[in-house]
Amino acid sequence: MDPDALAKAFVEHYYTTFDNNRAGLASLYQDGSMLTFEGEKIQGAPNIVSKLTSLPFNQCHHSITTVDSQPSPATNGMLVFVSGNLQLASEQHALRFSQMFHLLPTPQGSYYVLNDIFRLNYA
Amino acid sequence: MDPDALAKAFVEHYYSTFDANRGGLASLYQDGSMLSFEGQKIQGSQNIVAKLTSLPFQQCQHSITTVDCQPSGVNGGMLVFVSGNLQLAGEQHALKFSQMFHLIPTPQGSYYVLNDIFRLNYA
Repeated sequence: MDPDALAKAFVEHYYTTFDNNRAGLASLYQDGSMLTFEGEKIQGAPNIVSKLTSLPFNQCHHSITTVDSQPSPATNGMLVFVSGNLQLASEQHALRFSQMFHLLPTPQGSYYVLNDIFRLNYA
Repeated sequence: MDPDALAKAFVEHYYSTFDANRGGLASLYQDGSMLSFEGQKIQGSQNIVAKLTSLPFQQCQHSITTVDCQPSGVNGGMLVFVSGNLQLAGEQHALKFSQMFHLIPTPQGSYYVLNDIFRLNYA
C-alpha cells in the first residue's frame, strides 16, 4: 500500500477508535510505547490507555485538517504528523491540536504506535 | 547530556541558524534527509536548503513555545516536536507553526535531521 494511503488509513482508524471506543486504543500501543500529552510523559500501553480514558470529557470528535508522513529508514517505521480540530461535547468552540506518531510494523502486518506526542494549538 | 536538554539545545541551534544564516542549515541535513514543508516533499540536503533559502521572505524570527522529545527506539535517535511563532519582517502578526524533527546521532557526536515536517497552524 502506498505510504501516504497507509498513513491516512492509520489516522482515520486511530481517531475513530478514540472517538467511539477509547479503551480500544490499547491494541495500538505496546509496553515500550511512549506518549507525551500536553507535556506529561507516559510509558506503556496500560498507562497510556489509562491516561486517555481518564481525560475529563466523555464525548469528543476529532476532525483532521492535514496528514503528513515520511518513512523513517533508521527504524523501518513511519512518521505521521497530524493537525486538526477536537470538539468536546460540552464546549462551544473546537480546540486545535497537532500530533505526531512514530509507527512500527507488527509481525501481523499492521502498525503500532511507538512514539506519540500531542499538543493543543492555542490561538 | 539529558535528552530534554539535548532537544532544547538542538532546537535553539536550528532556529538561530535559520534566522541568522539560513544557508548554514546545510550542515544539519544529509543526502537521505526528508523535509515536508506545508505538504511539499523535498529530499536531500541540497534540495532542502535550496527550498528554505528560497522562501519568500528575507528576515524572520522563530520564537519557541513548546519542545517535546522522545527517543525513537533505535541507536540514539530522537524525535523532537516543536510549536512556536514565526514573525516575518514586514508582517504585523506572527504566524503559528508546528514542526517535528527526527534526529540521528553522527559519528562526531552531534545530530543530523533525517526527517523534518513543518506546518503552519492557521487560526
